[in-house]
Amino acid sequence: MTRKSLDQTLGFLRSLDRTASADDVARLLVSELSDLGVAHVMAGTVPTRGTPSRQQNGHVLLNTFPSDWGRRYLARGYAFKDPTVRRLCTNTTPFAWSEVRDSYPDDPVARRVMDEAADFQLRDGITIPLMTLDGQIAGFSVSGERLVIDPADRAMLHLIATYAFGHLLLMRGQGASAVAANLAPREREALQWAAEGKTDWEIGTVMGISTHGVDFHLRSARSKLGSANRTQAVAVALRRGLII
Amino acid sequence: MIHIVTPANEHNYREEMEQVWRLRHDVFVVEKGWTDLTRPDGREIDQFDTPHAIHFLAIEEERVVGYSRLLPTTRPHLLSDVMPQLCEGERPSGYDTWEWTRQAVARSHRARGKAVNPVSLALLSGIVEWGMGNGVRQLVLQMPTLYLLHVVQLHFRARPLGLPHTISGEDIIAATAEFDERTLARLRTVRGDGASVLAPTYSYLAA
Repeated sequence: MTRKSLDQTLGFLRSLDRTASADDVARLLVSELSDLGVAHVMAGTVPTRGTPSRQQNGHVLLNTFPSDWGRRYLARGYAFKDPTVRRLCTNTTPFAWSEVRDSYPDDPVARRVMDEAADFQLRDGITIPLMTLDGQIAGFSVSGERLVIDPADRAMLHLIATYAFGHLLLMRGQGASAVAANLAPREREALQWAAEGKTDWEIGTVMGISTHGVDFHLRSARSKLGSANRTQAVAVALRRGLII
Repeated sequence: MIHIVTPANEHNYREEMEQVWRLRHDVFVVEKGWTDLTRPDGREIDQFDTPHAIHFLAIEEERVVGYSRLLPTTRPHLLSDVMPQLCEGERPSGYDTWEWTRQAVARSHRARGKAVNPVSLALLSGIVEWGMGNGVRQLVLQMPTLYLLHVVQLHFRARPLGLPHTISGEDIIAATAEFDERTLARLRTVRGDGASVLAPTYSYLAA
């Protein structure tokens, strides 16, 4: 039973390695977890109390929750009332939303957040608390009308959430550096494959372009990085965190 | 600075190794409550502290402020003998694979916030530097699942060996963590220091 969940986790990690954007990661997660009843995923770091709603968006790494719900949530400052967010700050064990629905009986808004979420098909959910290297509290939530999750699934979900979050953080760091270096997405991708030791022909096959196309992207990346050859371009890109 | 202690140089580190046994007692027996490790002399030494173990000591002003131990996976170690249930498939083993255990930092040197403390990062950098110079490709870890994200963020290629288990109230996972020059570069960036952490007098290599 748990062996099957472990194998599914390892399969997910292989697919995760092939994602190139947060949207890819979201699609992969929803398709991987649909058997458990998961329809939506959200991941982000917890903003400190009082962060303006405009800046709260910067804390979101991934979000497929209905956009109407997202707007309402931000406009009403629910992030600081939401029982699932409050629980994140005090506990590091994954929890079901049903466990926290009534945790704040003195605060009617807390219960209202949960009830209104249910109106947006976010009735059932599990949140996995996380903590980043620099000590930020973070959370990863999956939700749907009704989740069907046994203990082995929950353990698997814990791992999948952790890896997806780590991958999103690495991509975000890379993305920021890539913008600074003015590298185009295809140039970055070709460099990434070059760093894995692939030939132009192999890179062309995985990227669905010709060998000439690969050569073009790598030459362009080389010139933007001020490098004399491909080896140096890969080394510079690694050092600057443009590829992983 | 990180000092590596093995049978080749332990005569130079008698006093420091005494500090190690006491630090381990403070962290694992007193603080974490792993009472089955208790010894009457207050020194935490177990069956794996053999001449095959490699000790990593973080020393500041002659005081041991942090510690880690590597065990060869070709001999009995924790995953093989103490917590085999954490590994559901084939257990990784080989000369390029070492098990990282007993990570400990003196209370005085832990970060105030929740960020990972510099002593832990220095110890890990020392392990990776030593590993890259000695044909080691990956570590075997058993750790709270909460720390798995840190390992991923530090550019280790970590793969779970099983699903998380609850052990003494903690959610624990076993994983392999492959590393290469990218890992070391990332550790150096996070530490904000590009220099080697290993102490210059490295008589182990000369021995």
